[in-house]
Amino acid sequence: MNVMNLSLWWLALPVLLLPILWHRQKREQTKAAPLASARFLPVSEPKQLRVWRWSDPLLLLLRCLMLLALIALLADLVLAWRGDSVLVAPGTDASFVKQQALDAGFKDAQQLVLLDHDAMRTGAKPEAGPVERHVAVFSEHADDWRRLFAAARGSWNIVVDAQPGPRTELLVWDRPEPAPATLRAPLWWVTDAHTFPELDQAARVDGMRVTETPRGRVWQIAGWPPREPEAARAVFAAWQRLHLAPQPYTAPAQALSAEPNAPAGPASGALREILATLLVALFVLERMLTHARRR
Amino acid sequence: MPMLDSAALVAHTGKLDLVIRHVLAGLGHGIHPGRERGAGVEFSEYRAYAPGDEWRRVDWKLAARADRYFVREAERDSHVAVWLVLDATASMLEPSRAIDGLTKLHYARVMLACVAALAQRQGDAFGLVVCNGERAHFTPAARGPRQLQRVLARLNAVEAGGSLPDSEMLRTSLHFARAPSVVCVAGDFLDWPSALSESMLRLRHMRHDVRALCLHTEAEDEASFDAALAYRDPEQGGPVFRFGRDVRAAYTQAREAHFAEVRRQCRQHDVPLLQARIEQAPGEVLRAWMRRHKAGARAA
Repeated sequence: MNVMNLSLWWLALPVLLLPILWHRQKREQTKAAPLASARFLPVSEPKQLRVWRWSDPLLLLLRCLMLLALIALLADLVLAWRGDSVLVAPGTDASFVKQQALDAGFKDAQQLVLLDHDAMRTGAKPEAGPVERHVAVFSEHADDWRRLFAAARGSWNIVVDAQPGPRTELLVWDRPEPAPATLRAPLWWVTDAHTFPELDQAARVDGMRVTETPRGRVWQIAGWPPREPEAARAVFAAWQRLHLAPQPYTAPAQALSAEPNAPAGPASGALREILATLLVALFVLERMLTHARRR
Repeated sequence: MPMLDSAALVAHTGKLDLVIRHVLAGLGHGIHPGRERGAGVEFSEYRAYAPGDEWRRVDWKLAARADRYFVREAERDSHVAVWLVLDATASMLEPSRAIDGLTKLHYARVMLACVAALAQRQGDAFGLVVCNGERAHFTPAARGPRQLQRVLARLNAVEAGGSLPDSEMLRTSLHFARAPSVVCVAGDFLDWPSALSESMLRLRHMRHDVRALCLHTEAEDEASFDAALAYRDPEQGGPVFRFGRDVRAAYTQAREAHFAEVRRQCRQHDVPLLQARIEQAPGEVLRAWMRRHKAGARAA
């Protein structure tokens, strides 16, 4: 076991010297030999005799054991302090780690490389980026729509096709005439409500009309395409939330399993109950013995 | 006589009469003041033998005739009474730190027993006063071998403890007859002036022959005590003392001053004082004590 892993409570072990000294000093003070010519000696305090003998060795032993059990109990309960530490995921660039530690004021801290299963798996299996969404736009303001979709690049990967195909997920119909009946898409964004007769009875969700038609789901909002960033963001959020599935959580839960080789630390608490029982027993014995000695 | 042999003998022999015989082996009759003629010089009467009598005082011709032992009694018993005064306070338990098991009390006991044996040989009456436990235990003076056995038994049974009796009690214990007495005091004289010292000086003023034996130990003389121990006065209790190289000079100085005062007062009152170490051979010390007395008597 590494020394650093030991609890600081073990530093209290010198307390054991106290009963040892106390039991020794009691012996010193009661020893005076008769000396007939003592009257000629100048009055002075007798020197304390340094005799390494102890009174009541059994009681002394009990007291020492009691203190030892107490220290062991405390050391078993309390976690050891590891000092300033920087946890480093395996494979992280060393210079980057150094820079980060310097910025955070952990220049002298020790660096602990995490075990593999402890590492955050955010970058463990990087996805290929956002899913490619194919969009077809029929509009007088096709440039506006292209600009809108281009602005979402990063979190979205939107490909604007010239003609709708089987992979088209969104069809923007920004024309006053009705769409041809042959066109089908999972989602329609329509600006003119007259192009789809089903929109008359459509429900309103988030300020837009939403309906299901044989040609696909139709959303209608007057005044599209949105001009402001807030409105554009709201549109994309609604697309994600209401039409596509909610995005998966980016950081998968950590799977922590017990590692037999990993240091469990000094404060495992395994001996806690034994030590507590021992401490109580020793305390009772010590009290009884002290009482018996006084009688 | 090798020093260690006899001093160790004092420490380890329980039977006082054996020690006396050993100590007095080389002294014979020559200690006593010479004007006395000694036992059995002028025949007076016979008396029956008692255990403790010297074999040479038995009349062998009479024994052959009568088939019983008779002892020739001296014409004249000495009129001198010998008083043995033993200081048996707690401080007399001070051990010799050189010879294991030897204390001042052991030594003083042997010295007084020897004096008693000498007195008995010469036909003097002798008595014993033991001062311990704030009391004075009194054994009246008498003559003869039985008295010697009695005194030796008393000396053997002495246990040191407590401190000296007060002067009033000592005064009543030491009310001697008008007869001239020899008073032999053995002690450590750490308490001076004390009731004992007052009594000694008073007896000296009453024209008694007072001779003092002051016992030290080698460790006291050389101020070499174990610095690792704490010390307490056995009689006064009180604070705990410490010995070390730094207090050694002060100890020596205070002790010297004390005993210089003791010596000065003894000289002033014409009390011969012998200071001896208990590690010394008892025979030599006894001889020196008696000689000191003779010198003092001659000077007087």
